[in-house]
Amino acid sequence: MRRFLLQRLLTALPTLLVIITLAFLLLRLTPGGPFDGERPMLPEIRASIAAKYHLDESLPRQYLHYVSDLARGDLGPSFQYRNTSVNELIEQGLPVDLTIGGLALLLAVVIGGMLGATAALHRDSWLDRTLVAFALIGISMPVFVTAPLMILVFAILLQWLPAGDWVSGSVRHLVLPVIALALPHIAYIARMLRAGLIEALQSPYVLTARAKGLPEWQILLRHALRPALLPLLAFLGPAFAAILTGSIVVENVFGLPGIGRHFVTGALNRDYTLVMGVTILYGVMIIVFNLLTDLGQAWLDPRIRRAHAA
Amino acid sequence: MTRPAARLHLLLACLPWLAACAPSSDDVPAVAAIRVGTELASDQTLRRAVDQMPRTLDPTLLTDIPAQHISDDLFEGLTTLAVDGSIIPGVAERWQVSADGLHWTFHLRNARWSNGDRLTAHDFVYAWRREVDPRTGAEYAQSLAPLRNALAVTAGKLPVTALGVEALDERTLRVELEAPTPYLLALLTGNFMMPLHRATVERFGDDWTRPGNMVSNGAFMLEEVVIGNRITLRRNPNYWAADTVRMERVIYYPIDRAEQNARFLAGELHLTDSFPIQQYQWLRQRLGDQVATAPYLGTFMLGLNMRKPPFAGNRALRMALTLAVDREILVSKVRQGVYVAAYSTVPPLAGYESAQPSWRRLDDAARHALARQYYAEAGYGPGRPLQVELNYPTDSDNRYIYEAIAAMWRMNLGADVRPYNEEFRVMQQNRRLHLLDLFHHAWIGDYPDPYTFLQIFQTGFGINDGAYSNPQYEALLTRANQQPDNTVRYRLLREAEAVLNEDVPNIPLYFYACRHLIKPYLKGLQVNVLDRNLSRHMYLLQHEGT
Repeated sequence: MRRFLLQRLLTALPTLLVIITLAFLLLRLTPGGPFDGERPMLPEIRASIAAKYHLDESLPRQYLHYVSDLARGDLGPSFQYRNTSVNELIEQGLPVDLTIGGLALLLAVVIGGMLGATAALHRDSWLDRTLVAFALIGISMPVFVTAPLMILVFAILLQWLPAGDWVSGSVRHLVLPVIALALPHIAYIARMLRAGLIEALQSPYVLTARAKGLPEWQILLRHALRPALLPLLAFLGPAFAAILTGSIVVENVFGLPGIGRHFVTGALNRDYTLVMGVTILYGVMIIVFNLLTDLGQAWLDPRIRRAHAA
Repeated sequence: MTRPAARLHLLLACLPWLAACAPSSDDVPAVAAIRVGTELASDQTLRRAVDQMPRTLDPTLLTDIPAQHISDDLFEGLTTLAVDGSIIPGVAERWQVSADGLHWTFHLRNARWSNGDRLTAHDFVYAWRREVDPRTGAEYAQSLAPLRNALAVTAGKLPVTALGVEALDERTLRVELEAPTPYLLALLTGNFMMPLHRATVERFGDDWTRPGNMVSNGAFMLEEVVIGNRITLRRNPNYWAADTVRMERVIYYPIDRAEQNARFLAGELHLTDSFPIQQYQWLRQRLGDQVATAPYLGTFMLGLNMRKPPFAGNRALRMALTLAVDREILVSKVRQGVYVAAYSTVPPLAGYESAQPSWRRLDDAARHALARQYYAEAGYGPGRPLQVELNYPTDSDNRYIYEAIAAMWRMNLGADVRPYNEEFRVMQQNRRLHLLDLFHHAWIGDYPDPYTFLQIFQTGFGINDGAYSNPQYEALLTRANQQPDNTVRYRLLREAEAVLNEDVPNIPLYFYACRHLIKPYLKGLQVNVLDRNLSRHMYLLQHEGT
């Protein structure tokens, strides 16, 4: 297992380097530059700005410049926000996404897990059908529909909760964005767990357990849940990475200062360093969570453990 | 927003303060007077929205409109804006202008910076020199072009000290111009003309605009910046007219237009920056007078590439296209009646009578017939329809308008025009390289003067993307710029505009309108042509609910 871990960590570095190089090249190949405003700029001013941001240098030099800064942990200055570094933007935005995303995931796992287990245990009953229908609606309704609907009902019509804004320490401001972000994940988790449990509950070893007279809750927790969690874990790994680096829609609709919005505005404004910074962060998150997923799966399934050991 | 229990009764007499008079201006009250007995809300915190997060708050460097709004609250130039957007004295108490219109002397009032330091004429000299210094990299450096030697300094041909501005003493500033500039007083309200606290800028470098570092001279000072969330300003007790400012705090929220509506309806915003035009009728029905619109200093048009076929050397074709657009239908049906149809380039401006094309008075049938006549003359017809792409930036708000225009050309001429959208920066690059034939072209004026619109069709001007060039047109603009008498100047500019109408290097479609949602208890603002509303004039009345 240690070898497996080491192997994965060693492949992570070149993977990241490929991501960085590709992102760098693709951004520079995109037409239009970070300082091409609607209004014309005098050539002398353009030259002065280009020199300040090293944009007057050759592409390989710019790349080396970027990578050597990156090696020191410096993601460079944002081109869009003139006296702000990308590090600062991420430091400011990440706690917001971690709070909203973390709570949304917790909610999704708890509620989705409960709903999935309930549906599986009452397979083909009215309860199961109702839950499956709700899960289908949850998956089909995109966040850009549910979030404004929630604002309409709870903020505008009932005036129970704020329509947006981020106020540090205010629980009221968290409720709607967390639920909006959690809803589709609740639905996914419920459906996946239901399917996994139903399959597991029909397997011969569960039949054996039942024949041995084990109580149903013990069969569920000790024998059926583990294999049912395997596909769920594969889904949760990348989902964690995506949610924790910010949901563009939720941030926009609720006016949250997370990094997801930076990604979009950065790309539109050709803020090379900001887009690179967020891409690298996302890449690292994906690598880390995929690794954690693999470890989790190995912990759950002895067959995978044995395969790794071999 | 305010709890009834926390009411505070403020019985205010009419404000004693009136703007200082200037030789060139009538007496205008700078702030809205509050009537005796007006009951103000106890919490004077203004919550207003801007469309996006400002890129910087440095008045020398900023270029985006949200930042300009915030700069209007943080800084004040020699002149400033009244509630209705008219120009009134700011830091300058009064001024004189020489007979030839080239030398202006401004007398500064006893004003202070937010840290208590005295504001002097040297602060303007420092800021303006910093703006034109090419090392600063100020994108709007050429806005100072009317000042003597400004362009030569920006080009690095002269030192910054050659700029036509000089501090005669602590409170007297002398400005020398290249040519008479009747719109100078309006230009002076621009963010690029604000004074700067030199010691602060030099001490903190790029970081001088951060909260805690920034020293400003406007009615408000910077308290907090959370990127992507809010910018909070606090009342500046050292502002020279601080006793007339009622707002204690102003919070700017950078949010999308649709979200601004939701936040307004939920009672979390007092003033929005704009709203999606498709929602106008719905908002009117629901909110009535809280929806405010007014003409805005901007023209929406289409550009034509004058360098290559099919439009180069084919005036008849250009005429056919401009004649075949039903502008009244565009503004009433596609733009919900918010905008005003444009037949010429310059939007309505006080004192300036825009030149109108001769065909303006024709009814629809006659206009369409004339369009077909020109279309045939240009060599096109049913057997050989015009086939061209109409390029526009990806923006759902605009998509319908291009589809409608293409449909009109198809219906009235039989032309095959295909709307094609690209991301803004991609389209812009192609437009600048003169690769596009027919394209989106919009312009927002910098100051209320026809020249700001007519200059864009000068040879070599950065945004002359259709590469229009006409010596007669340029001669008229040059003559107008040398003219100290504004009546004569306006006549020459009108003649230049008539040349544009004749040559058709562009197809004007409509003039923009600013659109806001305003809570009924927010007072002290009047939607104006510049779409600049200073928070220093505003106040919140006592109210119940949101």
